[in-house]
Amino acid sequence: MADGTQPIEAAWAADAIRALFDPKTGWLDRRVHSDAALYQLELERIFARGWNFMCHESQLPNVGDYFINYIGEDQVICVRGEDGAINVLLNTCRHRGNALCRAEQGRAKSFVCSYHGWNYGLDGRLIGVPGQSTYYRGDLDRSRLGLVKAAKVESYLGFYFATMAGDAPSLHDYLGDVGRTGLGMVCANGDVEVVDGIQKNVIDCNWKIAVDNLFDWYHVAYSHASAGAAGIFDPAAILHPKDQMVMLGDYGQAIGGPGLRKAEQAKIDRMSDAARAAYARSSESLFPRVRPAMARELMGPEGVRSMGHPNIFPNLWITLGGSQMCLRLPRGPSATELWWFTVVPKDMPAPLRQTVIRAATHLFGPAGLLEQDDGENWSQSTRAASGFSSRKVGAALLMGLGHDEVSVGENGQRSIEGLVGEHAQRWFYRSWTEWVAARDWAELEATRSPPPTGAV
Amino acid sequence: MDAATEIRPNARPAGPDLAERMLLQYEVEQFLYAEAALLDARQYREWLGLLADDIHYWMPIRRTVTLSDLDLEFTKPGAMAYFDDDRGMLEMRVKKLEAGSAWSEDPPSRSRHFVSNVRILEVAEGEITVEVAFHLYRTRLNTEVGGWVGRRVDRLRRVEGGFRLAMRHIFLDQTVIPTTNMSTLF
Repeated sequence: MADGTQPIEAAWAADAIRALFDPKTGWLDRRVHSDAALYQLELERIFARGWNFMCHESQLPNVGDYFINYIGEDQVICVRGEDGAINVLLNTCRHRGNALCRAEQGRAKSFVCSYHGWNYGLDGRLIGVPGQSTYYRGDLDRSRLGLVKAAKVESYLGFYFATMAGDAPSLHDYLGDVGRTGLGMVCANGDVEVVDGIQKNVIDCNWKIAVDNLFDWYHVAYSHASAGAAGIFDPAAILHPKDQMVMLGDYGQAIGGPGLRKAEQAKIDRMSDAARAAYARSSESLFPRVRPAMARELMGPEGVRSMGHPNIFPNLWITLGGSQMCLRLPRGPSATELWWFTVVPKDMPAPLRQTVIRAATHLFGPAGLLEQDDGENWSQSTRAASGFSSRKVGAALLMGLGHDEVSVGENGQRSIEGLVGEHAQRWFYRSWTEWVAARDWAELEATRSPPPTGAV
Repeated sequence: MDAATEIRPNARPAGPDLAERMLLQYEVEQFLYAEAALLDARQYREWLGLLADDIHYWMPIRRTVTLSDLDLEFTKPGAMAYFDDDRGMLEMRVKKLEAGSAWSEDPPSRSRHFVSNVRILEVAEGEITVEVAFHLYRTRLNTEVGGWVGRRVDRLRRVEGGFRLAMRHIFLDQTVIPTTNMSTLF
């Protein structure tokens, strides 16, 4: 049947894919950043299979509000339906495949195809076909021609995710403790809303180079030296290269970056929220690191110490202490679209809200003083991966390998504490090989590595 | 001032007579061209010297929306933007460029600021509001070519010896920014 369900034989065998990253030595084969066949497998085996961030509930307050997002390169319409639920629909007409919705966001009563006028309800049902009784002579079963829906749509703390795989684990289990800690960071100061305006730009880099960079607290001092010199941030107050805390979770979830020492957190745990707020304001270093008591529920007794960068596998980065989220959307092996969502607590006082929004504008996004200097590192690393000889030179993810240990803390939350290193990057690529090598969820579950314990 | 201003091709502006208006048009254009030339010549310190202390330099986010949702096309003041700068922030941008470690501008970009369709919208109390169309072409490294096109609403304040830029609101025609960054000043 010509319905696109016949499997396409992978050009890469599973063993060859697994060999692209060697967790024992930390060497990464740079073809992962350039190979077109691997990219096609990523679309199938990571993006269509995994859970993808769609939107936050605050972006779609009313019935008919919609926001366009992507699952890999598949464009989807996220829309608040008549019943109040958020539907995720493939943005491709069931007639000839045209995009139904060509705006980025807006308000709709239904979605009408601009090609022949097929009309779909907010739940994706096909409700109108011009010429149904005349040209089709009544011989068209509309009930079978609704828009294709994401197999599952679920939310956590108001953040909606979707997967095209019906056999995917629940979002709760997919996120696991580490992913939930990451999203918990965003809500650690109260219920949040997304500020109007998603910054979007295209960088000619492989999406994974953008992702592995978020765990990289080694590059900040050098790549972003000019932002430090300009005075927009104080590297010494932010980096803490000797107090790092990395958390690695199932399915490739990870958090990397600085963490408060346990003794410091114990001191904070004894404070009232008012005392914490005053303490947080006392230094730039403490501001986003000292959280109210409720944060412990969301991030766990160890996770609450993190001031690092969570990544919700595969491509959602949480930064600025939880006030920004950046999606890295693949656009071919050597292009990535970056979407910046800025998130603030709903009850944040207006002056503080303005400060957070300004900081987000000034630090990240294409004009941000930090972000400006990242793109070219990523695009030049990607470009070199296309050269026949250059790509044979591996990428060295060697830092800290064999020198650290996973400690088990309160509630069983595990972390690697110590010097700045590349544990999270290694975990990301190791998980990536397992995702891409496995043909389906059952095989992934049977073959994936559990998060490391003991010496790492 | 984010919506398109009223456009009346045949309106005879009130106020100064034609000769005075031509003179003002000339003065404003020459200022804008020279200001653009400073940026193209990478004379950022000199460019800062043209800014009023209370300048607001702002580029909202533009979105592709349907005709019925045009009220959503640009983000509003106070929401997210690409630039939302005061003088201090612009000084920081220049300081960054001068730091010797601004890798995104070393090797430096080559830029060309084209300014055209200069229309004086309002003259009031020593301030002139002017709308222009711009094309900021940027190329860098060997083959990187990009740029930004849009409409700009500037406010020039008359001071002794010329003008100071008191407002620059930049309305791009692009929605998804097609460049690796925006490390160039508009």
